[in-house]
Amino acid sequence: MTPERVLLLRRGGGLWGVLHEAVRTVTRGRDGYRIWLRGQEIAADEVLGVIEGLPVWPAGGALTEFWGQRARGLAVHRATPLVVLDPESPPAIFGTHGTDATETSDGHDDQPSH
Amino acid sequence: MTTSRGESAEDRYLLIQAGEEECMLPLDRVRRIVRDLQVIPLPGAAQELKGLAEFGGEPLPVLDFSRLIGATPGAEPAYPVTVIAWAGPAESRELVGLQIDGAVEVVTIPTDAIVPGGEGIVRGDVSFRDRPVRVISLAALGGGG
Repeated sequence: MTPERVLLLRRGGGLWGVLHEAVRTVTRGRDGYRIWLRGQEIAADEVLGVIEGLPVWPAGGALTEFWGQRARGLAVHRATPLVVLDPESPPAIFGTHGTDATETSDGHDDQPSH
Repeated sequence: MTTSRGESAEDRYLLIQAGEEECMLPLDRVRRIVRDLQVIPLPGAAQELKGLAEFGGEPLPVLDFSRLIGATPGAEPAYPVTVIAWAGPAESRELVGLQIDGAVEVVTIPTDAIVPGGEGIVRGDVSFRDRPVRVISLAALGGGG
């Protein structure tokens, strides 16, 4: 388990995280957010803010075998488990198709809203 | 198989009900048995992976045990019980949740009573109270990661 600085976000009804060090910019549009990572762009329904020192556990063999996606690890925030994304290989549901980004947000260091 | 003192080697197992199958989980791999564990589905997961849960402040993947062993689900599968257990090889073990229909009892089985065979996490079979029961190896679960 390693404490990490993690940006929390919602997508597809679930809670997810991405290492803050991988986040370049966050842009808010009419129907969600776009987050530019290292070499990747992902969409989010909601950006909740950054958690300092969130314990992140390695993604074990069971998750790897039965999820079929790469992950940076697993974490728990306020009793809710979440996947911390691999910034270089986000799942398909984070695709930006159809997301309109028009307004820039500097909300990287917001406090979690829930 | 006998020990150095000439006794039959025995292992302790947790007898569980998984669909229409009875199985034995190695007791030294079982950490806790919980009811009504809240599981959050994970988009894109295989049917074996029910989702993620929080246990003792830690995240853990929760697996449908019946699907892991290819068992026929019971008439009304509700999986009210989750076994929190160590999976994977000893050097890289991880906690997982195994959704089952029920935890029955702890039993002791002579090692040489187990007939080796089976696929995946099934280590073999044993006749227990005149019923066939699958013996599970959790070391073989999720070891590929």
